[in-house]
Amino acid sequence: MGVLEDKARARLFYKYLSRVYDTINPFIWNEAMRDEALEWFGIEAGDRVLDVGCGTGFATEGLLAHTEEVWGLDQSAHQLEKAFEKFGKRDRVKFHRGDAERLPFADDSFDAYWSSGSIEYWPDPVAALREARRVTKPGGSVLVVGPDYPTSTVFAKLADAIMLFYDAEEADRMFAEAGFEAFEHRIQQRAPGTPRAITTIARVPEAGGTDAEGRTDASRTGPN
Amino acid sequence: MKESLLDILCCPLDKGELELEVIRENDDEILEGRLVCVECGEEYPIEDGIPNLLPPDMRDEAAA
Repeated sequence: MGVLEDKARARLFYKYLSRVYDTINPFIWNEAMRDEALEWFGIEAGDRVLDVGCGTGFATEGLLAHTEEVWGLDQSAHQLEKAFEKFGKRDRVKFHRGDAERLPFADDSFDAYWSSGSIEYWPDPVAALREARRVTKPGGSVLVVGPDYPTSTVFAKLADAIMLFYDAEEADRMFAEAGFEAFEHRIQQRAPGTPRAITTIARVPEAGGTDAEGRTDASRTGPN
Repeated sequence: MKESLLDILCCPLDKGELELEVIRENDDEILEGRLVCVECGEEYPIEDGIPNLLPPDMRDEAAA
């Protein structure tokens, strides 16, 4: 998975990324693609939604158009500062600092879980997806947007060196290992020849399911 | 953060319940304080109203 297995280096990377993020991001995943993904997400007004790796708030803004109950989580203070500028610090969005792989929320806390442009920096994506499943109510949507594996060899080598890229087959493996049973992947691309995004829409299984480690829902940790 | 939101927060390490210690608050919310895990005792700061629930191994560096 490249150098970002080292969390310290990942955090240094984020620190510099936040300075250019809103400039780079629209080239890969723009507002039209975000709004299309929001339709697939299928949330309703009043749903409590968690935006993991909310960063500078690009997706957060789209989520707010669908529901007022948006919780934003990011590890990076630098990224969050940009989001605070957009939405206020303690106003429309409930911001928290935290780690995607060790979420600070009780089981079944959210109606839906969203994470875009973050999975490529998670050192252990399966652990993070398992957490997504845990904090989202059974039947709720989990939507994850990441970069599709580049077709150009030169770019693929570069990509492998700095972050995780994955194809549909790898996404199948990660979501299944994290205990999801129903999910599908859709490829989004701004224009031919530009980097592609892979968006996975998963449904949290009803209670009583087991994940790939054989744990049952009943044995999941948590205060409830 | 608003105290009512505490219900769904938990310790990121062992998912234990968190107990709130208020240092400074206004009419609406807690501005400075601590969230303490009743299981492991780990403390998570509330900084200018934003709960910092990063696990301790990520906290120092991410604050840079």
